[in-house]
Amino acid sequence: MTPEQITLVQSSFERLGPDLPALTALFYQELFQRDPALRPLFTTDMGEQRVKFAQKLAEIIQAIPRLDELLAHTRALGARHVAYGVRATDYQTVGDALYAALAAVLGDEFDAQTREAWILAYNIVAETMLEGAAAARPIGS
Amino acid sequence: MLADVVMTLPRWPIVGRRPEIEVFERALGSGERAGLVIYGRAGVGKTRLADECAGQAAASGHPSQRVAGSRTTALLPLGAVAALLPDGLGRLGPDGQVNAVALFEQTRRALHDRHRGRRLVIVADDIALLDVASLALLGYLAAQQAIFLIATVRTGEPVPDLLTDLWRDGRLQRIDLHDLSRAHLDTLLHLALGGPIEAGAGQEFWESSRGNPLYVHELVLGALDSGALVERSGVWHLEDHLPATSRLLDLVEQRIGGLPDEARSVLELLALCQPVELGYLETAAPAGVLESLERAGLVTLAVAEGQVRLAHPLHAKVVRAAMPKLRARTVLLAQAERLEAASSAHGPAELRTAVWRLDAGGRPGPGVLIRSAHLARSTHDFRMVRRLIEAVPSEELDSVAALLLGEALYELGDFDAAERVLAAGQELPSGENVAMRLAVTRAKNAHWGLCRPEEALAINGAAKAVVSSAPLVEELVAHEAAVLTFSGRPDIAMAVLAGITGSDKRTRVVRAIAGAVALAMAGRTAEAVALAQASYADHVALGDELAIAHPATHIVNQVFALTEAGRLAEAGQLARTGAEVVASHRVPIAQIWFAANLARVATLQGRPATARRYYAEAAGLAQANGFAGPRCMALSGLALAHAMLGEPEAAAQALAERAAVPWFGFLGPEQHLADAWAATAAQRPAEAAETFRAAAAEAASTGHRVTESWLLHDLMRTSGEDVSARLRELADVCDSPLVAARARHAGAARARDAQELTGAANDFEALGAMLLAAEAAGGAAAEFSRAGEGRAATAALRRSTALAAACEGASTPALFHLATVNAAAADPLSGREREVVLLAATGMASKDIAERLYLSVRTVNNHLQHAYAKLGVTSRAGLSQALGSAI
Repeated sequence: MTPEQITLVQSSFERLGPDLPALTALFYQELFQRDPALRPLFTTDMGEQRVKFAQKLAEIIQAIPRLDELLAHTRALGARHVAYGVRATDYQTVGDALYAALAAVLGDEFDAQTREAWILAYNIVAETMLEGAAAARPIGS
Repeated sequence: MLADVVMTLPRWPIVGRRPEIEVFERALGSGERAGLVIYGRAGVGKTRLADECAGQAAASGHPSQRVAGSRTTALLPLGAVAALLPDGLGRLGPDGQVNAVALFEQTRRALHDRHRGRRLVIVADDIALLDVASLALLGYLAAQQAIFLIATVRTGEPVPDLLTDLWRDGRLQRIDLHDLSRAHLDTLLHLALGGPIEAGAGQEFWESSRGNPLYVHELVLGALDSGALVERSGVWHLEDHLPATSRLLDLVEQRIGGLPDEARSVLELLALCQPVELGYLETAAPAGVLESLERAGLVTLAVAEGQVRLAHPLHAKVVRAAMPKLRARTVLLAQAERLEAASSAHGPAELRTAVWRLDAGGRPGPGVLIRSAHLARSTHDFRMVRRLIEAVPSEELDSVAALLLGEALYELGDFDAAERVLAAGQELPSGENVAMRLAVTRAKNAHWGLCRPEEALAINGAAKAVVSSAPLVEELVAHEAAVLTFSGRPDIAMAVLAGITGSDKRTRVVRAIAGAVALAMAGRTAEAVALAQASYADHVALGDELAIAHPATHIVNQVFALTEAGRLAEAGQLARTGAEVVASHRVPIAQIWFAANLARVATLQGRPATARRYYAEAAGLAQANGFAGPRCMALSGLALAHAMLGEPEAAAQALAERAAVPWFGFLGPEQHLADAWAATAAQRPAEAAETFRAAAAEAASTGHRVTESWLLHDLMRTSGEDVSARLRELADVCDSPLVAARARHAGAARARDAQELTGAANDFEALGAMLLAAEAAGGAAAEFSRAGEGRAATAALRRSTALAAACEGASTPALFHLATVNAAAADPLSGREREVVLLAATGMASKDIAERLYLSVRTVNNHLQHAYAKLGVTSRAGLSQALGSAI
């Protein structure tokens, strides 16, 4: 990522402000629509789940400029996701759902440049979560 | 501790490959797959992905090991997999031989014990570079579930048979790797550099690398090293342009070219002898060198195994190419001495050091060379056998080595050298077994290679006099029968074979090589087919023993027997399958025989152009590999095919070429078909008939019954001579429907019996002998016509014409006659008849046709009846088919 792209991700996230709950609701809606098989992976209350997601997202976006800090978050997060039964190919679906939710909430502000910046940010998160997942998962599990 | 230091260095990240790694994990966990193949172009990350998979497996308790082929490891069989082998590699068994299958099984058990039953993950980088024996071992271990194979194959490289076999059985998972997308490249740079990069620099990396991961790796590490890529306030900038080269190789060369000498020495050692033990390198290289090389992404450390290797095969290639030969030699020999001093003989190290010594232009000990040659022999890699034994000093050559070398020379077509080596081998001390095999191989060489069957019989006879054990004597007798069968005396061969019981399996197999062919020639084709089929299985079960032909010999024999049995389609199918198999095994002699048999089948099917192509292929292969005997036969067949296509000059040319090689007596009478047909094509009928008669007489006196029937039948076809009585006798003693159909044809022609001629045409057509069917149907047409049965005559003529059309332009006297009759009858319908028929063929009723043409219904029906008779049809339904050619 370029420094400008990092700024773009952080500023567009800040602009969400009060719309963050709407974003998380839309995100899960988009996700389950894209792949209904992911629904049963979520066993906790969805309200609680949305809050957790919003918190984690905020932490991660905060940490983007400092890779070491980001990795501490994402690797641990990836390792936890192994136990939920998430696979590498699911990460693509998650990303697509996130961009769709952002586009719906941000409207015109989610332009091509912002979208590209988010894709790059999400890729870093996904790759490092998967790294954490790989380290945590024995084959055959 | 060095290991601690290097462990703290960041590892070059892997990006965009997690789904592939999961595919691997599922394949390994499922138990159904034997391996994974990673395809992709150079630098796309095949090696890295394979290592990552192995690392993932290791985290789950699967041990892993790397094997890599190279020009060096290819110098010895199993050179690439030396590290897998148990101690006692290829020690000669009590019978003085190396049994490859036993060695493979021993390896499997040793791996099982070493890894306490856990499935070993083997990474075979650039598997296309592995030698044949290494591939065979990996194939065996993978099929037995002893290992899980991860193979990398560069786009455009041939895929080894091992992979295609496993692939066909659905045991391999395939992954195609592509270059990274722009977004993935960006992620890779971010993770590798640990922070953001300014936009222009990111773009330049993308434009230079186009997403090729190794390219990016080399570019980034090169730019860091040169100071072009620097971090300021947490952001990476390019201060200078990236090297302007589009070739990955150039990039690697530039990077390695700039290293200090002590670092270069380490790379050179690894390029020649990797993997090298970490412990040794720590003492051999100055402190800090290894760390800097790892930081530069040029070497990788397998900490668990304590081994160091170059990070990428391309690095090894570049380092080796830049290394002076003398320096390489010094390093190789020094390493060989070091490893030999530190390890026991007969272990895996023996093979590795032998490879190094060969690569250095030096000589490994004769023991390892001879044992390796046995291994190469077991995979029919005769070029390797020759190279290995020729590296043994002549004073160290024993009788077994002479046997190996002599056989390899024979298989490779160097018959004079084979004769010298084998004759000298007979002078060396040896046990009875080896003495017998030396004699048999030498006799085979004299017969097949030098085309001197009498000499072969003499060598065989001399050996019989000195060998005492009953099975060995029997085997010599069986070989004597083979010489006889394949030099034109199947009758004597059968008598000789009757004298032995074939008590042991090996003797039975050898016996069957001659027996199946002699039986087929004598017209006992059912027995011949069954014997060839059973012997193939027996031969394979014997394992790889010296001095027996390739097991494919039995398949060639089965093809021959099926052909003599008139089962032409089956024969062709089996021959095509066999030809594919031996082509991939590089066994030229077997390729020649399959091509020649395909040509024979095509000849009998009435496809002379196909026959011409296969005979030419067989003749070419025989010439290229120095097989004079098979070349003689193939040239005979080629002349025959040319003659049957009406090409007398080309036929004469092939016969002239044949006259320049020694005469080879196998199927001798059949080879004279070529002379007779060449005379026919050149309009010398009297000479042709005389040649047919003489060859038939020779066939009769030497036990070639099926061939005799072919010759006599062709005599009748070309001259009209009555040969029906002898053909009937032959049909009574042969079980082949082809021989029976020939007899029926000749009998019917003699009796001028149109129905019987039609029956003969049916018989030939059922066998797939279309030319003969066409000629018999043509004969039927003539007899129907003579008897005034116009409709039947026309039908027979039409059938004959249609059959002849499938015969690829065959030109025989009978077809010439047929063409004349057809020309005379080219337009059989009157103008009015044609008008009526055209309308009737559209389905119009007679009444409507009458109205249209202003005729009476009766007249219309009259015209139709006449037209039916002329066209040889009986109903309106047959009209439309007939119309195509008649109107």
